[in-house]
Amino acid sequence: MWAQSSRRDLALAALLLIALVALPYIFPHPAMRDFIIYVIAYGLLAMSLNLLVGFTGLVSFGHAAYFASGAYIFGLLMQSGEVSIPVAMLATVGGTALLALVIGAICVRLHEIYFAFLTLAFQMFIHSVILTWVSLTGGDQGLMGGIPRPPFLGIDLGNSMTLYMFCVVLFVICLVIMRQIVQSPFGYTLRMIRDNPRRANFLGVNVVAMKLAIFVIAGAIASVGGIVMALFVSGAYPEFAFWTTSGEAIFMIMLGGTQLFLGPLVGAILLQTLNHFVTIYTEHHGLVLGIVILIFVLGLRRGLADYVYELIQSRKAAAAEPKPRAEPAQATFTDETRLADKGANT
Amino acid sequence: MIKTKRGVSRRNFLKGAAGAAAAGAVGTTITGFPHIAGAQAKTIRIGMPTILSGRVAILGTSSRSAVQLAVQQFNEAGGLNGRTIEVIYRDSKGRPDEAAKVTRDLINNDGCEIIIDGEASSGSFAVQEVIRELPVLCLHTCSESSTLTADPKLHVKTAFRSARQGVHDAVAGGRYASELSKQKGLKRWMTCSPDYAYGRDNTAEFLEYAKKFDPSIEVLDQVWPKLFQPDYTENITKILQVQPQAMYSALWGGDLVAFIEQGNLYGLFNNITYFSGGLGDPPVLTAIKQLPVGLHTVYRYNELYPNNPENAAFAAGYKKLANQEPTNWSWQNYLATSFIFEALKRTNGNTEGAALAAEVKGMEIASPFAVEGKITMRDSDHTIIGYPAAWGVTVPKFPYVENFQSVPWSEILELEAEWKKSKGYA
Repeated sequence: MWAQSSRRDLALAALLLIALVALPYIFPHPAMRDFIIYVIAYGLLAMSLNLLVGFTGLVSFGHAAYFASGAYIFGLLMQSGEVSIPVAMLATVGGTALLALVIGAICVRLHEIYFAFLTLAFQMFIHSVILTWVSLTGGDQGLMGGIPRPPFLGIDLGNSMTLYMFCVVLFVICLVIMRQIVQSPFGYTLRMIRDNPRRANFLGVNVVAMKLAIFVIAGAIASVGGIVMALFVSGAYPEFAFWTTSGEAIFMIMLGGTQLFLGPLVGAILLQTLNHFVTIYTEHHGLVLGIVILIFVLGLRRGLADYVYELIQSRKAAAAEPKPRAEPAQATFTDETRLADKGANT
Repeated sequence: MIKTKRGVSRRNFLKGAAGAAAAGAVGTTITGFPHIAGAQAKTIRIGMPTILSGRVAILGTSSRSAVQLAVQQFNEAGGLNGRTIEVIYRDSKGRPDEAAKVTRDLINNDGCEIIIDGEASSGSFAVQEVIRELPVLCLHTCSESSTLTADPKLHVKTAFRSARQGVHDAVAGGRYASELSKQKGLKRWMTCSPDYAYGRDNTAEFLEYAKKFDPSIEVLDQVWPKLFQPDYTENITKILQVQPQAMYSALWGGDLVAFIEQGNLYGLFNNITYFSGGLGDPPVLTAIKQLPVGLHTVYRYNELYPNNPENAAFAAGYKKLANQEPTNWSWQNYLATSFIFEALKRTNGNTEGAALAAEVKGMEIASPFAVEGKITMRDSDHTIIGYPAAWGVTVPKFPYVENFQSVPWSEILELEAEWKKSKGYA
């Protein structure tokens, strides 16, 4: 069953890859490519955060620390001139995973607000290190001088089209990995921990180890987002590690939804699109974005993807059911847990 | 009999139409309308990424007003052989990645052929890297970080800085302060600057040159309030406890206003000779309810210095347009447009980055803000020299700062050359 589902996911991933590769040929404007790369970077940040928030119930306020770690480690390695891009990427993902392991080992033992605030504290600690270790990080001015992109295996990331293709491939690989994780027995164990950690514990699940594992995986994937951003802006900046970047990722999840696999990506697209257009027309973008988020929170009470999915499901259910009978009203699909049971697999 | 549906159902048609419309809308809005290539376009488009929201929005708004004034004057005077200039402003929110994205968007999507980079330091480094890849003419107008243009590794052929530079201010400040310290016997010093790279670097450079000119200066203590700190009581009481004869502060903007207001309550400025690296901006000076007399500040902007009709006209025009006093960023942006307009005239409207850069490189301009006749865009490192590197003293009413003393540029350049050698830049 799982193998069948995996094959379907791989086929969908291949289709997505083909669509993204074809897009610049349909809309050959460079701005389209820039926009997609930007969405990919923040999309990976939001989706990796959702592995914690949506699938494990760990609300991390400090996830951008790993995004920044990805950008800085990759940038510093490339500026050293000692390593090639693939080696730097592997070292970055490995280094960030190690960082997440150390931080996670301390944080995942805590619950709810204590976990959230400790992750935030670690993020601000990393932000302070970036600001004060000027000789290494460039302090508040960031990594200066650009990030070299020497060609490797015939791939020249100095070419903007090649960079786009590279980022798209990287994105789809990360999507497949995340999808396999949430669909695996490990992914279902995470949901069980989210819904009832005590029961999971009684069933013999090592809850702390599971939480730590997903914390490390999420951190490593966020670092790939950081690498994409570093390649795009050819630099790394302390703002990447500031709490507002984590806040943006949480906004993306709120806009897109936590229960569907692609929900945070929808949120990332929504937020970046809103940001793009609102900024053109007004300086009061904070106000506009605030109102939009308020509408989602108060009006929809969930992210857009969750809302649409639920709507489709309820219509399908209504169509499939025979005419209403004089029986007690059935539970509706508004129950979040039920949505999670059905929707998280989607 | 099985009835086979042929054609497209109403529902599917609507779905398809909605999808196509959405894709079209997204496609059009993201890709933008195709812009006409520079050579044929009647309007020349300039893009300006800057900070228009948040705590340092005054940097962007005062920069934008100055550019608006200059472009309005240029267009009203007939433009360039009938071609007018249009400026597209974008808010980067003070985020370097957003600055990079917005700059790329201005060039790729909006068809801007020239960039005026009104970003603070970190944003300007991000914009510099975009210009390296998309080589249009770019003038950085707000970043005072010396590294941006002094470090040859960061050099970009089509990027220039039309803004004051940290090392120039440090030499001028050190020289000015040392003369006073020798004259008044100010041996015991203290500093109070914001705790981030700019605050620390700016303070270190000021002290380096002050001590170079007067080795008897001794720094007793240094306090580092956080950036955007609302309460300075702790720092002020520490200064009063140490009782220095003089102090230097790199505080700026709202932080500086708060520090001086709170310092007034403690009589901080009664017995201390105060040197400021950020007080000289008219909006800051006018925001302080009781501006103490006799504070020493670096020149940021003053409509009576340099005292010439062109500078007064700039101030009057700016105030009429923006309904506020010009800032340091205002004159720097206004100056940047002068370089751009002159380069466009010399290339006869050719907006190609390399062509414009070739003209801006080494260009000398008779500007309202020049202290020694002209302001030069130095060809060796693409930064301006000849602007007011001066210090003055506060007075309670307009013009708020007077008695400006300018350090000769020959001396600044000599010490700058030594500094470059020490940093390995030359």
